[in-house]
Amino acid sequence: MSVSDATTALTEELAARDDMIVCEGVNKWFGDFQALDGITAVIKEREVVVVLGPSGSGKSTWIRCINRLEAHQEGRIVIDGVELTNDLRNIEKIRSEVGMVFQQFNLFPHLTVLDNIMLAPIWVRKKPKGEAEELARSLLERVGIPEQAEKYPGQLSGGQQQRVAIARALAMEPRIMLFDEPTSALDPEMIKEVLDVMKELALSGMTMMVVTHEMGFAREVADRVIFMEDGQIVETGTPEHFFTNPQEERTKLFLSQIL
Amino acid sequence: MSNTDQATLAATQSQRPPFYRDVTVVKWLAQVFTLLLVVFALFFLTTQALENLDRQGIEIKYDFLSIGLGSDLREGIDTDPDTAGRALWAGAVNTIRIAVGGIIAATILGVLVGVGRLSSNWIVSRMCSVFIETVRNIPLLVQIVFIWALVATFPDVELDQGPINGLLHVSNKGVSVPRVHIDDGFYQWLIFIAAGWLVGTFVKRRQERRHDATGRDTYPVLSFLAVLAVFGAVGWVAHPIFGWVGAIFDFIGDGFSSLTPVIVQIVLSLAALAAAAWWIRRFLARLRTPAGLMKLTDDDKFRIIFAGVGALAVIAFVLVGWPGLSSWIINSGTDLLGVIADKFGDGRTGRPIDIKAPDVEQVGNFPNPGPAGLNLTQGGAAVFFGVVLYTASFIAEIVRGGILAVPKGQTEAAQAVGLRRVTMLRRVILPQAFRVILPPLGNQYLNLTKNTSLAIAVGYSDFVQVGQIVYNQTGKTLEVISLWMLFYLACSLTISVVVNFFNIRMKIVER
Repeated sequence: MSVSDATTALTEELAARDDMIVCEGVNKWFGDFQALDGITAVIKEREVVVVLGPSGSGKSTWIRCINRLEAHQEGRIVIDGVELTNDLRNIEKIRSEVGMVFQQFNLFPHLTVLDNIMLAPIWVRKKPKGEAEELARSLLERVGIPEQAEKYPGQLSGGQQQRVAIARALAMEPRIMLFDEPTSALDPEMIKEVLDVMKELALSGMTMMVVTHEMGFAREVADRVIFMEDGQIVETGTPEHFFTNPQEERTKLFLSQIL
Repeated sequence: MSNTDQATLAATQSQRPPFYRDVTVVKWLAQVFTLLLVVFALFFLTTQALENLDRQGIEIKYDFLSIGLGSDLREGIDTDPDTAGRALWAGAVNTIRIAVGGIIAATILGVLVGVGRLSSNWIVSRMCSVFIETVRNIPLLVQIVFIWALVATFPDVELDQGPINGLLHVSNKGVSVPRVHIDDGFYQWLIFIAAGWLVGTFVKRRQERRHDATGRDTYPVLSFLAVLAVFGAVGWVAHPIFGWVGAIFDFIGDGFSSLTPVIVQIVLSLAALAAAAWWIRRFLARLRTPAGLMKLTDDDKFRIIFAGVGALAVIAFVLVGWPGLSSWIINSGTDLLGVIADKFGDGRTGRPIDIKAPDVEQVGNFPNPGPAGLNLTQGGAAVFFGVVLYTASFIAEIVRGGILAVPKGQTEAAQAVGLRRVTMLRRVILPQAFRVILPPLGNQYLNLTKNTSLAIAVGYSDFVQVGQIVYNQTGKTLEVISLWMLFYLACSLTISVVVNFFNIRMKIVER
């Protein structure tokens, strides 16, 4: 099967699935600086999308707009059928359905690992404590650190902290997971353990949007790669297409610098 | 490595340095030398001071505390005290009143203003900024006198004049409102409250477990309050049934008074030894690792020796230094138990708590400084609002700093898992801000307490002002000053202990 055939097959298969994230002409400015410039993209259910681009290209801003950590100023963002507006109820609904993992982990340092994971299920989903604890322990099992449950975040390594952060996001049973450079703050030997968890997550059918510099992960796991520069989407395609046969000059330049 | 090198190395290792370069010896010498210096300085200063006082015919004696005082106090629990000691006690209560009330009020106001300054509401944040910058940049003394002058512009005192007759009275002498005060059956009623507290805690725990098990709202705190209210209501009428409790204290008091001084001396000595032994044991336990006891450093040894010497010093003080101590303990203990027996005794059928309206009898002498209403006099209002506003402006900045010290990522993470604003503040932001806020907050409480001594400027009868009256009449300057120092030291240490307790509880486990 040639590359173009594979692309066509994937496109057809994707078209049949539900839209999870829809962005239409999203614009955002920080003062004079335009961070997002007419972002239009659709991410389907169970799709894994990796967003690449040089720093300052607006990748993080875009991903943070999707659960309203930043507010977009023009255009529409629709998450699983709910439009992101100033309506607090919509924002809360979307946030409880979209999990997010940060570059700096942002675990709550005054709570144990278990309490970190149980916080939202108890106070947002109103789960009984016993049930929430059971869920938290099974998630720790899933990310491979069940023995760290009673420790505090400050006692864990970076890779372990990031896996707890993933478990914390999963505890809300989200339909979409956003990853904002999840491995950029990690020592090289810890990157793999986090990427393994993310791969397992992708294989289980989670809809994922990942901002990363890990080209290996993009090549191996992504269904689609989006390349951004200066707040615009420059090129979109499957990993094979993107890494072997990029169309745009700017994409070629970017790849030549990092590969 | 060549042979000569190895030889040099071996020579260096085996050679002990001369004692003045040996770290161990130097350290020990320094410790012992410092100790001797301190002991000698204390000894020299006290003997010199005593000698000088003796030469001038001044005696350090505290018997003036039981001598009558010729003047009235402006306000307090006792405005016509029998003795100087009673007057000082009334002054101390006035200081504690202002300090405790002030700490509570300043904390509430400070937190509100501090959070307000961070508000996204422009008007609110500007108002808070102006308040802080104005109040904290004007000397406290000026503010106290200013409030005092402000109250002086209120209407003149007239009989039965007030916005709410008999309940609220406002005049240039101050403000008076009804006062809750302890009545006959209060202490027996306290037994009911204590029982209600225990049962309520039990019910609260059970409700919390039910919440954990089912996830339903079980209102643990409300249940606790309901149980407490039921016990309080039953006790309101039923408290005389505890009339027999007084007899128990009478019995204990009898036993206490029959103790001989020798027994008390033995008990105190053993307690000192036990305390030292407990401290040393705990100290060693902290140094114990799974591999066995860690090697003691010289510093550790010095501390252990110091604990032992301290215990021996206490024993020497009890046996030789102040032989009268044990009979004093027996006497005052018997007195105290007698008072307690009386409070819990039979025949106390009155209400536990009573409310008395302001007693407005004499025109021109309001608020009547009697026991009836709760009076905030001109001087009291000036000191109270002075220290509250001043301290609140500092607390506001501390609170603002504490909240800003929580990284932005914490807010984002809390939002990303869908926490609402209130839950996020309560569960994520405030616990972390609190640990930054607490130590400087404790300092502000200390400042507030000590600043109440500025009451002397507006004639509020606080501990310092009463002390001044006392030494003007008795000439016992040194004694009164020593009491002032001891009193403020005790207040400050109490606050420190409370704040430190919370400080330790809030600590974050780092690694």
